[in-house]
Amino acid sequence: MDLLNDLFSSTPWSAMRAGLHLAFGLALVYWMWQVYQLRSALRLRHLARPRAWQLPAAGAVILAFTAILGYQATWQLGGTARPQFVAFMQSHDRRQFNPAHWIQRGRILDQRGRVLAESRNQAGAAERVYPYGPLFAHIIGYADPRFGLSGIESVANRALNGSALDSLDDWSELGRLLLTQSKRPRGQDLVTTLDAGLQRLAMESLMGAPGPGRGAAVVMRPKDGAVLVMASAPSFDPNHLHAGLFNARDPATPLLNRATQGQYPPGSAFKIVLTAQALARGFSGRLDCPADGYTTSRHYRPIRDHEYYSAKRAGRTWVGRGPIDLTTALAQSSNVFFAQLGVLAGHRALAETGERFLFNRSIPFAVAAAGDLRLQAGRLPTISARDRYGLAQASIGQGRVTATPAHLALIAAAVANDGVAMRPRLLRDTEPEALARLMASGDAKRLRVMLRRAVRDGTARGIETEGLEIAGKTGTAENPHGASHSWFVGMAPASAPTLAFAILVEHGGYGSTGAAPIARDLMLKAAEQGML
Amino acid sequence: MATKGAPATIDQSWALRAPERRLLLSVLLIALLGYLMLLGARPKDGFAVRLVDWAPWLVFALAFSGAHCALVAARFRGDQLLLPAIGLLSAFGLLAQFRMGLFGEGVPDWSELLLLPLALSLLVGVALAGRNGRYALAGRANWIWAVLSLLILGLVLATGQRFRGAVYAVGFITPTELLKLTLVLFSAGFVNLHLKALSRWRSVLPPLRHLWPLLAVWGMVAALLLMQRDLGLVVILGTALLAMLVAGTRHPGYAAYGMGLAAVAGTALLSLFSHGQRRIDAWLDPFADPTGAGWQVLQGLSGMYAGGLWGEGFSEARPRYAPIAESDFIYAVLAEELGFAGSVLLVAAFAVLLIRLISLSARARTPYGVMAATGVTTVLAVQTLLNLGGVTKAVPLTGITLPLISHGGSSLLTVFTSLGLVLAISDGEPAKPRATGPAAKRGRSKDTEKRRAGSRAGPRSAPHAGKRRPRPEAG
Repeated sequence: MDLLNDLFSSTPWSAMRAGLHLAFGLALVYWMWQVYQLRSALRLRHLARPRAWQLPAAGAVILAFTAILGYQATWQLGGTARPQFVAFMQSHDRRQFNPAHWIQRGRILDQRGRVLAESRNQAGAAERVYPYGPLFAHIIGYADPRFGLSGIESVANRALNGSALDSLDDWSELGRLLLTQSKRPRGQDLVTTLDAGLQRLAMESLMGAPGPGRGAAVVMRPKDGAVLVMASAPSFDPNHLHAGLFNARDPATPLLNRATQGQYPPGSAFKIVLTAQALARGFSGRLDCPADGYTTSRHYRPIRDHEYYSAKRAGRTWVGRGPIDLTTALAQSSNVFFAQLGVLAGHRALAETGERFLFNRSIPFAVAAAGDLRLQAGRLPTISARDRYGLAQASIGQGRVTATPAHLALIAAAVANDGVAMRPRLLRDTEPEALARLMASGDAKRLRVMLRRAVRDGTARGIETEGLEIAGKTGTAENPHGASHSWFVGMAPASAPTLAFAILVEHGGYGSTGAAPIARDLMLKAAEQGML
Repeated sequence: MATKGAPATIDQSWALRAPERRLLLSVLLIALLGYLMLLGARPKDGFAVRLVDWAPWLVFALAFSGAHCALVAARFRGDQLLLPAIGLLSAFGLLAQFRMGLFGEGVPDWSELLLLPLALSLLVGVALAGRNGRYALAGRANWIWAVLSLLILGLVLATGQRFRGAVYAVGFITPTELLKLTLVLFSAGFVNLHLKALSRWRSVLPPLRHLWPLLAVWGMVAALLLMQRDLGLVVILGTALLAMLVAGTRHPGYAAYGMGLAAVAGTALLSLFSHGQRRIDAWLDPFADPTGAGWQVLQGLSGMYAGGLWGEGFSEARPRYAPIAESDFIYAVLAEELGFAGSVLLVAAFAVLLIRLISLSARARTPYGVMAATGVTTVLAVQTLLNLGGVTKAVPLTGITLPLISHGGSSLLTVFTSLGLVLAISDGEPAKPRATGPAAKRGRSKDTEKRRAGSRAGPRSAPHAGKRRPRPEAG
């Protein structure tokens, strides 16, 4: 026994053990071969001839075993192709030698190479770490064995795990890994179009904005659809997920990506769409805008301009705007003008415009092999032909029309890109792709000039900054839940836009005081960094 | 002894059973190789190897050698592949259970160690007692089996404890395992008794007038089992009953009705039993609750994935992380340590055993033999498939052990006794003096002719003789 103990403790034992392992397998094979060899000696001559069902029954057993082994192989050998399984093993399997622990899930980087997500080995288990915490929680998402995958982590999962078998090389690499049982499979790094600096600024500004600190900001490059900022506040920390986050009916809904999923009345920001419609229909001329407003029937409360209410609150009377043209109306954000404009154009025109501006859709973006993320476009329900007041309300972005921040950013980007909306992109290495033409090139140019006036000497003049040349439209959207939502949608620089944006501050009050300053700060920072 | 083909002397018997011996010796060698691997890992865990550590392998080797010698001494002429195949699978069981430390750390646990010799002596005892057609005696007493089945169930229901969603009797023994034998014997005996009536269908309906006692007993058993939430056992026994009916009566209508009934009952039961529905859910999407319902199967699969194609070898891996590894999930342990290649070989060993059992069932001379052997075979096959499928997530988990390999006393004893019955059936029927038929005159090599000392019964002595065509090279 001592001899045996010495042998087991000696160095060559590990090699001998491997030899034993091999010998064990070979002995099993030998046994099977022996059965085959002895088949004639094993025959039972004194028994009856086999009944007809012998072969089918044996075949069924073999078939069932083969099926089970085949299915087992998809887990035992092809486990990397199952993302949730890999994630489970990475955090719940305590076997040190499990290759899943060595899979270096690819990192996710921002456009300047800053790490947004990476895997670290801690106590033998890989852990996904998000250095920016809640900043990118909605768009980068999370990869968690318990809660699964979301965001880019989900869409680009296979590439991140190194199991996106896109080419013949990938397949041969997989074959090599299987045969050699290599312990170091490695995923690809993904470079996104996001900018961590701008994202941080957007997030901090949203949290610090007037109101409850909720909202969303989207910044895009109009030319190629690259998304630089997609922020949604409040957020959650993907480093510390817990069940309560998913179960609780938190009124702040931190899981909701307000940028792509949040439907808000667009208020005056919708006037961009109405203006584009008027330009497309060749509208020119003036509409009278009296102080006591406009209504389609005396049974309905007249739609008035906000100056009327400010004057009333101050105990003064306002004389009204009188006849004004489209440019002035947009710069001054005249509700009376746009309500009339919309009613004049009619129900069908608005429905067609909604169709052209991609309303009522779900638009795929960040398209990757495993799927895509989707942004919800705004909703523009059909307004009954008899409901002229509803049409008037919709024309000023109230009533039943809603929009998501990402959708309005997409519209702003189309205005900036001579009328063509590019499909939003999140991954640097995807090809830019035109999504749709929303308006004629000439109309887009004229619209830019008009939006520029709204900042230079219109409702958003408060944020006019030397050298930025911001063009945009404020929105102050009344809603039944409290103070108005504050919008600012636009682009910069107006003459040759390089960035387009949409900012929403929930219950942030006036667009000019809630959302517009955030846009200005973002553009300032972008200019500092040479992105403008 | 007037048995055909039986060896006259011990020497002839020794020579006749040479294939069995050769295969068994290979099994002992395989077990030894695996055992060395296991022992070699012990110093690393801080245990010195002592002489007493060899006890499990020695007991294993002695038990199978003894069984072989007993068969030789009794001049048994039955099947020779069954015992080696059982031995090979038991070797896997020995290694896996020694691996899990079930034979006691340091001090050998004799109650565990002696289980295998006990089971093997049951197997040999049943085989020898039932040989030469005497197994048919069991068919005469078929109401005893029915009463016994119901008694077992009643007893378990009265004294059982609930654990992991099922009922166990005192001390975690599962006497319901015995049903796999008693119910098979009852059904085979009953169908044999009414074979003619049950084979003739007047219409599309089965002959219920003759079938109802069987259905009544079976319905009671199924109801009692369902009260214990043992869905897996219901599936096993139900499939066995159908297989026996079809094999015995040769009427495919039973299979059709059975499958229809199973589909209806299955959906109804799943909607009634939250327990079953939970398992289905965990099967369909284990990742919905990976740390709860999906934990077992995912840990097992993680182990397999870690084992990869070649495995890490015995005792290198850490299968203790798989839950209930010593019983339901023992296949995951083996697949982890031996890799996918090893599990293919293990499954092949199961295939050898099951196909041999099917062949023996299909060649039994009496309908009772056919049905009893078919019942035992189906029970084993369904149990194996449900366990392997459950562990690999191919089918929902049923909490069924892997026959011959999983740890479990009552299961082991039942399986070995059942296999003893098949071994007895494979011994064939007693010779009928006048029945030397034309088959005996058909040409065959001389040495084989010499070896069979006894007179050879013609095939006409078998009940299905009329349907038989001449055997091509039947030797």
